[in-house]
Amino acid sequence: MRWRRLFQGIAVAAVAMLFASACLSEEGGGGGGGGGEAEAGDKQIEIMYGFGGDQSKGFEQGMAEFIQSSGINIKFTDASQSFDTLIRPRVQGNNPPDIALFPQPGLMLDFARQGKLQDLGGMLNMDSLRASLVPGILDTGTLEGKTYGVPMSMNVKSLVWYPKKAFEAKGYKTPTTIAELEALTNQIKADGTTPWCVGLESAAATGWVGTDWIEEFVLRYGGPEKYDQWVRHEIPFNDPVVVQAGQEFEKLALADGNVFGGRKGVVGANFATAMNPMFQDPPKCLLHRQGNFITQKGFITEKVRQNLDEEVGVFLLPSTDASSKPVLGGGDLAGAFTNDDDTKKAIEFMTSPTFNGGTKEASYISPHKTFDISLYPTETAKALTKLAYESTVFRFDGSDTMPGSVGAGSFWKGMTAWISGQKNLEDTLKDIEDSWPS
Amino acid sequence: MVRVINALLAIVGGVGGALLLYWILNRLAEMLPQKWEERVKPWVFILPAIAAIGLFLIYPAVRTIVLSFANATSTAWVGLENYTDLLGSRDFQITLVNTLLWIAVVPAVVVALGLAVAVLADRLGSGGERLTKSSIFLPMAISGVGAATIWRFIYEARPEGETQIGLQNAVWTALGFDPVAWLQVDTLRLNSFLLMVILIWAQVGFSMVLLSAAIKGVPIDTIEAARIDGANERQIFFRVTVPQIWGTVITVFITVLITVLKAFDVVFVMTNGNFNTDIIAVRFFNELFRNGDNGRASAIVVMLMIAVVPVVAYQVRHFRAEEAAR
Repeated sequence: MRWRRLFQGIAVAAVAMLFASACLSEEGGGGGGGGGEAEAGDKQIEIMYGFGGDQSKGFEQGMAEFIQSSGINIKFTDASQSFDTLIRPRVQGNNPPDIALFPQPGLMLDFARQGKLQDLGGMLNMDSLRASLVPGILDTGTLEGKTYGVPMSMNVKSLVWYPKKAFEAKGYKTPTTIAELEALTNQIKADGTTPWCVGLESAAATGWVGTDWIEEFVLRYGGPEKYDQWVRHEIPFNDPVVVQAGQEFEKLALADGNVFGGRKGVVGANFATAMNPMFQDPPKCLLHRQGNFITQKGFITEKVRQNLDEEVGVFLLPSTDASSKPVLGGGDLAGAFTNDDDTKKAIEFMTSPTFNGGTKEASYISPHKTFDISLYPTETAKALTKLAYESTVFRFDGSDTMPGSVGAGSFWKGMTAWISGQKNLEDTLKDIEDSWPS
Repeated sequence: MVRVINALLAIVGGVGGALLLYWILNRLAEMLPQKWEERVKPWVFILPAIAAIGLFLIYPAVRTIVLSFANATSTAWVGLENYTDLLGSRDFQITLVNTLLWIAVVPAVVVALGLAVAVLADRLGSGGERLTKSSIFLPMAISGVGAATIWRFIYEARPEGETQIGLQNAVWTALGFDPVAWLQVDTLRLNSFLLMVILIWAQVGFSMVLLSAAIKGVPIDTIEAARIDGANERQIFFRVTVPQIWGTVITVFITVLITVLKAFDVVFVMTNGNFNTDIIAVRFFNELFRNGDNGRASAIVVMLMIAVVPVVAYQVRHFRAEEAAR
């Protein structure tokens, strides 16, 4: 009898709790006020970012000057293990850092839509930023006329790397159109070398390299307008132009004999070291498409890194004709969760055209066209910076701009499944389309 | 140093606080009239425990069920959409099939292997038995992530012509075959089975220790009686030993089954659910922390809860029957 009463008690309590918890959270609310007067700070801020290693060191060194001159203490939180899964609980738990450097604008825009981020229009001088930044890059962090993220750094993805000595010994010429690139690929294959090296593995983020390839060709075949529509989901994810992009990638760098290790090898190879087989003797491949960050310490072999200018050549991934030079890139967008004086000063400092946090390590470049190019350590870095600043159109990495559940979820996983052979291209793109949040 | 002091303070404060709470509640109860004191006192002592379970178990469970009917940011009701979306998606169906495979294979294999090792080790001399058992028990001490990292090196594949650093491919290529990217081979769910091997490897020690203790507890006279009656070894094992340790077998089976339902680290580290190896816990993690979808993540947990209920119910019944038989 007693037990029955105990269970009744628990049941009543549970039902009471059901009612208590049956209400949902309020939409938006809080934060996002922007424009309002900044509060005085407590001389202590936290910055969270998704890059690690040398880049993290370079950034801290860059900020050291600020800490000295302003007397504001900065806690650096390196979330390079998995930025997106680390910052989400912090924000949901109402314990966000003061400033976050988002490698993925999609995630940042998620937070902006939820009203968690500050409108930077009230903190920074947008007109002067717009004048010095690479055109188009500021739009990435803008939502309904308000800017929530300003780039601190930038990287260029549309780069094809080759081993200079082996490439020139064969007398190959760098291509200026996709057709020429295909011809070069076939030529290399006919000469007995596997043309491409591709590496998809990146622990929990495996697959993003594949998304970059698709984006490159969507931007080239569809043009920037169609690309934007695709990223914003104004056209279906599996639009014919995306199918065309996938087919081009498949024909160029996945076909039998075109890629080192075959499709399965591509999925197993780590993106950071995927390029290294091209420096073996004889080279195992001659072409590798990857962002400028591939030249940082711990990625390419140290021997090559020390003699970068002699060992490595780079050209822009060509487009349909030689006159158009679209560039796909990325970067870290600074967003603010708090609106106080300290945050404002720090974000102003790190997004200024003269801020230099890590260009010495050549892992990223300044997003400002006015940045002193002589500060880059190698000729290679200067050359690729020029390629970026001379682009006819710059677009931010689309998968990073899409909603997190696509851009860092089904798109990554879809590319992995497709390249590894679990799904065909059409099914893959259809499944990603179906996964787009309504 | 500060951390040590903090930890000590937390222990003293926690234990002391609990003692103080019970002391105060007890004094309050003693202030009541005799008859009421007797009625209230058991409740006074059990209430904090019920409150803790309510707060940390029942409330979150109820909340999860509620949120599984809401959208990604828990701001609007969507009815059964999370469930229908999930069950209708090809990827989630694969996830469910994989989870069922794990449930069907891992606990049974762990019990069978553990039993085999326990019986065979029992026949060895004491030195041999100790050596065998400790080496098989050793993987238990390794975390799931550690075990997965070790096995990554076993399954590692390099392109043809490169030196194979993975054990399995080194053997495979030495036999004259081409290297295989094992974790990407989903024919007949081979990659899922390869991942199961890791969990089995880590769990057999646990199963062996418990079953070995149970076998040693089987009264020797029952076995001798069987032997005198002319039973052979196989008959003795299946008709005399196994029935007497059946309770332990069930306990081990269910414990491993629950471990399998919660299995996460091995798959997350090895494949993150790619190549059709996804299981329900990894999918839940990705929905919640990568996609930020509270609704779907909750729906997955609710399905997992529903799947666990029969198992727990069976275990409770079995436990009661055991108690009654005593």
